[in-house]
Amino acid sequence: MRKAIRGLDRLSRAGLACLLVLVLLALVPLTGLAGDPDEIAGPRLQPPGPEFWMGTDNLGRAMLPRVLEGIGTTLLLSSAAVAVTAAVSTGFGVLAGYRGGAVNGLVMRLVEVLYAFPAIILAILVAAVMGPGRPAALAAIVLVTIPLMTRLVRGAAAGVAGRDYVTSAVISGARLPRVLGRHVLPNVAGTVAVQGTYALSVGITVEGGLSFLGLGVQPPQASLGSLIAEGTGYLVAAPWLVSGPGAVLVVAILSINVFGDGLRDRLEPRETRSLV
Amino acid sequence: MRLLLWWGGRALVSAATLLGVSILIFAAVRMMPGGFAETVLGPFATADQKAALAEQYGLDQPIPAQYWHWLSAVVTGDFGTSMISRTPVADELGARLPVTAELTLIAIAVALLAGVPLGVLTAVRARPGGGGAAGRLLSGLGVSVPEFVLAALTVFLFSRYALGLRAGGHVPFGEDPAGNLRSMILPALVLSIFALSATARTTRDAVLNVLVEPYVTAAVARGERPSSIVLHHVLRNAAAPVVTLTATIAAYLLGGALIVEYAFNLPGIGSFIVQAITRRDYAVVQAGVLLAAAVFIVMNMLVDLAVGLIDPRLGTEAGGK
Amino acid sequence: MSALLDVRGLVVEYPGAGGAVRALDGADLTVAEGETVGLVGESGSGKSTLGAAAGRLLSRAARVRAGSVSVAGESLLEMGSREIRRVRRERLGFVFQDPISHLDPTMRVGAQLRRAVAGRTKGGDIAAHLERVRLDDVRRIARAYPHELSGGMAQRVAIAMAMAARPRLLVADEPTAALDSQVREDVLDVVFGLAAEAGTGILWLSHDLPAVARRCDRVAVMYGGRVVEDGPAAEVLARPSHPYTAALARSAPGKAERGERLEPVPGRPPVLVGEPAGCAFAPRCPMADDRCAGERPVPVRIEGRDVLCHRAEETGAAVEIVPAVKR
Repeated sequence: MRKAIRGLDRLSRAGLACLLVLVLLALVPLTGLAGDPDEIAGPRLQPPGPEFWMGTDNLGRAMLPRVLEGIGTTLLLSSAAVAVTAAVSTGFGVLAGYRGGAVNGLVMRLVEVLYAFPAIILAILVAAVMGPGRPAALAAIVLVTIPLMTRLVRGAAAGVAGRDYVTSAVISGARLPRVLGRHVLPNVAGTVAVQGTYALSVGITVEGGLSFLGLGVQPPQASLGSLIAEGTGYLVAAPWLVSGPGAVLVVAILSINVFGDGLRDRLEPRETRSLV
Repeated sequence: MRLLLWWGGRALVSAATLLGVSILIFAAVRMMPGGFAETVLGPFATADQKAALAEQYGLDQPIPAQYWHWLSAVVTGDFGTSMISRTPVADELGARLPVTAELTLIAIAVALLAGVPLGVLTAVRARPGGGGAAGRLLSGLGVSVPEFVLAALTVFLFSRYALGLRAGGHVPFGEDPAGNLRSMILPALVLSIFALSATARTTRDAVLNVLVEPYVTAAVARGERPSSIVLHHVLRNAAAPVVTLTATIAAYLLGGALIVEYAFNLPGIGSFIVQAITRRDYAVVQAGVLLAAAVFIVMNMLVDLAVGLIDPRLGTEAGGK
Repeated sequence: MSALLDVRGLVVEYPGAGGAVRALDGADLTVAEGETVGLVGESGSGKSTLGAAAGRLLSRAARVRAGSVSVAGESLLEMGSREIRRVRRERLGFVFQDPISHLDPTMRVGAQLRRAVAGRTKGGDIAAHLERVRLDDVRRIARAYPHELSGGMAQRVAIAMAMAARPRLLVADEPTAALDSQVREDVLDVVFGLAAEAGTGILWLSHDLPAVARRCDRVAVMYGGRVVEDGPAAEVLARPSHPYTAALARSAPGKAERGERLEPVPGRPPVLVGEPAGCAFAPRCPMADDRCAGERPVPVRIEGRDVLCHRAEETGAAVEIVPAVKR
């Protein structure tokens, strides 16, 4: 992993650095330096200025601590969901790819069914069943990101399963956990890493979309999506309510995507050709 | 013949997937707070109504039989009754379809007409070691700005500086075609940004893969002009992944339409579903979700048929990659 | 008269992890009008790079560090893209190793051939072109897609496309390596027959030394990115002057008598990073001395051939066929 990061180009490293800065910012509220996100600190709808760096909202709460809390909520929710996705997808994908046959067929059909739902619509269905809130957002992100990662992990595992060194390990009597741990998992790790970064950006988008529709994180808890949802009511009077969290959200998704692109290019480089 | 068999196989897989989707949605509706009766009739139904419904759908029967009843009703277009408006869900959806259809069709047209040429151009001009940082940042930005952020930004900008376009609200096409376009163009553009970037990126990848194929080298060695090589040898060979993507994009646009309609206050199916969820009008949610999944599955099947026509190797031994 | 193809002192490098790798290290090669030249050497000797350079078809990563390439008196390396396309269309033809993958998989063979023909000459009947490469059932083949053809048929189609404009030079990069031995001879008959008829010179990249000896006027032997021996094909391969040619000839099957042992060339071909101090073959050469390791050899003319070896004068035109081989 460290080697993969060292080989990244400048843009992807910048993406990674941005992401780390966001993580650090999300930790600031724990220190108590940023102020209370729920405290009514000043006049309503105050534009950004020296006193309130990101302005105040419709209740007079300072936006800066709210955005910091939002970063934390969004990142924590998305990365927890992606961790679940990675575990589930790796399990099922390796099982399906390595075992093949009926297991493969079953897993792939299930994945196909999940894949048939447009992301935000699947998320809405989950929110309708579970009721709006953080658990629904988490479950929605997991269900939305599972199909693609499972498919790709399955592909990678199936590719490894046919290799000579795996066959020889099996013939020489290695037990299944050993074969999976020593040979199969290391070979799907790259796929999981690249897809994990993309899943993280999808997760942030889905959380934002759900919260924007009022079905995700519920007030007064702040997430980037719920902040934008609250702010859209005051777009003309107080555009900073949307532009602040919106900019942070875009930066988060963009830096993850750019990092993911770099990781992918690094793991599978490509040629180009000239037509002259 | 081989192609027909292959198409038949794809149709079967699609049917099986659709069946799986319907089971999932059926199960989801059973799990919703309030249960099936409330889902269909709403919370204020009388005991008589509930009894009639139980008889109609056979709620006293075992679950598989209930599923069968539900499925047969859905197949005939009976999605139940909206609890808010007390009219059949199918009619409600039908009335809102034109808005959503217009929105997604404009968006997909913009995505393909701008995205494909953009992808081809950037691939043909690509340098070894990936594009410049600026290009990559821009293409990354396109897939990184969620609709609800872009929609909010657009609504803000155009409500201040109208520029002859409308941000928010809807004018029916029948009443005022020009006004309709003015009210649809902004939401459609907002909706298309992700699809456009995704199309451009996929096209670029596909073209880059084709450009290193030996038959392109052979065409270069024959002294063909670059434009002629791209037109005759590259486009068709790079088309399959892009055509496949259109199905994914169509599905994505259905989801995005929901957010964009909500943000721009357009009376389409998407905003209707969002409304239905907040008002717990589950019959509408159920129908909308099933419809979206069905559209995606059918799109996927059509796309596979198209890919079969593009690549003569498909359905033959040489087609397995 | 100037040569049809004239490559002089060509140095080509590819960027590599440990520095630029030299594929060509000052290669010299000429092909006269109507002449057939076999270019032989192990994989990695620079054959393919040299063949590609003849049409300026080097891959994008390749960097030309020095030297010149000219076709019919026109220097390719300084040309604009419009001119290089004209030279490729009018003067050059290329045939590659894996024939099916060099045809567009989504276009019928007839349409591809028609495009190749139309781009070069005025009209012409594609059936006639297919018949010239001795294909039967030309109408069925014209309607087929490349994946429906056998390798031999596809290669004949590719030859028809390459020879459609009666080019002055045909560069054939191991055109028969992927074919069955029986089809191989037929395809070679077609290539050499058509070329002789049209007065086309051939640069034939090959591993098949006996076939080169039989069919080519001249042979150029490549090692370490340079042409190390260049002379009449049959004579050079029968009585090599360069120790490497000798080793290569010993390793060739087909030439050996029944029961005679084939000797592989010991060691591996070099991967050159920068200009080697001495002779690139010295580490593997049974005759190498101090001078070979420290001084770059220059071509010496011996008995009608050019030899790139410090000790060529001693060996004359006969390296002892079985010198002690260092392992």
